Amino acid sequence: MLEVRDLSKNFGGLRVSRHIHMALEKGERRVVLGPNGAGKTTLFNLLAGTLQPTSGEILLDGKPITNLNVEQRARRGLSRSYQKNNLFEGLTVGENLALAAATAQGRTFSCFSRAHESRAIRETVEEVAEMVGLSDRLDLGVAHASYGNRRQLEVGLALATKPKLLLMDEPTSGVGPGMIDAFHKLIATLPRELTIVIIEHDLDLGFDVADRITVLNYGEVVFEGTPEETKGSDVVREIYLGDWQGDA
Amino acid sequence: MFYQTPLKSVTVIVILAALALYAILGGYFAGEIVVEIAVLAILAISLDFVAGYGGMVSLCHGAIAGIGAYTFAGLTALAGFDGFTATLAALAATAAFGLVVGAVTANISGIFFIMATLAFGQMAYVVVFEWKALGGDDGMSGVSRYDFSAIGLNMNGSVEFALFCLLVVLIVYAVAAYVLRSSFGRTLIGVHSNEDRMRALGLSVWKHKAVAFSFSSLLAGSAGILAAQHTLFVSPELLVWTVSGEVLIVVILGGLGTLAGPIAGAALLVFLKQQVSDYTEHWHLVIGLFLIAAVMAGGRGVYGQVEHVLQRKARSDANA
Repeated sequence: MLEVRDLSKNFGGLRVSRHIHMALEKGERRVVLGPNGAGKTTLFNLLAGTLQPTSGEILLDGKPITNLNVEQRARRGLSRSYQKNNLFEGLTVGENLALAAATAQGRTFSCFSRAHESRAIRETVEEVAEMVGLSDRLDLGVAHASYGNRRQLEVGLALATKPKLLLMDEPTSGVGPGMIDAFHKLIATLPRELTIVIIEHDLDLGFDVADRITVLNYGEVVFEGTPEETKGSDVVREIYLGDWQGDA
Repeated sequence: MFYQTPLKSVTVIVILAALALYAILGGYFAGEIVVEIAVLAILAISLDFVAGYGGMVSLCHGAIAGIGAYTFAGLTALAGFDGFTATLAALAATAAFGLVVGAVTANISGIFFIMATLAFGQMAYVVVFEWKALGGDDGMSGVSRYDFSAIGLNMNGSVEFALFCLLVVLIVYAVAAYVLRSSFGRTLIGVHSNEDRMRALGLSVWKHKAVAFSFSSLLAGSAGILAAQHTLFVSPELLVWTVSGEVLIVVILGGLGTLAGPIAGAALLVFLKQQVSDYTEHWHLVIGLFLIAAVMAGGRGVYGQVEHVLQRKARSDANA
């Protein structure tokens, strides 16, 4: 479904992504782990098209998308949520979701239809709001929303496009345990055919939701395997959990 | 998001009705003032559409209106076309010019966008200034007003023409409001709010901005057509960049991103100018003080401030 071949990205002399290979089946949930600075977000920027790779190729459904820009990739069904909330500030929660749904459905250009108030869009908005737990917050201005609500909306915006491939950059960053639980449940309820890549800091969440785990360090894939294999891996323990072995 | 709130409707209707009454009762001079307000209001609405709702602060809307005025004047006075055909051609010309400006500047933001639009406006000014067939720096006379004699209207009458201009203001406002509520307008507001996220959601942002600028230019073109008919004369003065600056002042004075505010701003500016110039020729000074006061008071403009206060009151009432 998603294939990454020999993907590298250099910023001048700094090699932030090195020869990354990845292959995801349709419906797979892949968690990308790695310490700070491992190049996880850079990998997302390369996948989403925000950055162009120095070399290598990305294929979506067998077709190369490496030369497509952000919006073209989005129209192919790739959606993304951000580590830092990236919302429509002046609008309400419901208007945010409607904007995402209408844009994804290509209902952006007509001066005569009011698609944002149409039933098709309203249904998507209500469905997504229900999924991310914002059903009773639709009329709330984003500027007045709590951090947790904004975090939920961040994921909601990505879901409202009804993507085929969903990239989530640390969806639970900065939220409390209750919301992390709710987020686990959300992932479990998403349609099984949806392919998801999640960047995660939290090992437990990673082990919980992942079909397979990719571990990055210094821009390289240093390990890939099932959660069970990851737990048993010496290389992962060394780089990712290194700090509890005594040198911190 | 833009909603045609009762407050907006009431504001627009009250101001336009008051101006109509003033034109009818005030004699020739009042009619002239009302036309000046109407032309400025249309320009300000068109600028607010792109600046207030699309984040594109243009300094070439005066020049765009000038292109509309010149196209209309050239086609009627020189080429002998009828007013209706010339109007369509003038609107098409301004929309096309706006599309080019919008497409070229779509990926520029902030101060550089303002400078780029200024450059486009100056180019149009220079072309008109040097174009001998259009009268060059002397301008061109011989423009005539619409011929509505078939329905018994004499557009050469000051009152009739003033009322017609107010009608155009209403139409332009209604069209702008309608488009802002459509999918296109909602998307434009999304682009203004978070351009990168709209791109990540799959929108061709530059195309959307270019078309929005084109639409706004078309509205501005209608102001130019009225301006040409008002004085029966066009000159490069119409395209000078300070006209665009004045339109921006009107939008900020009335309330950026309110659509109804620019109408209030236009009326305020023109009346203020009339009143103050009775006492001193330095009326710009007074307008300047007004503008500074408006910006320092929160930058919402006269109408925007009223809307803000009423909304805050409504919210605290709802919470109480």
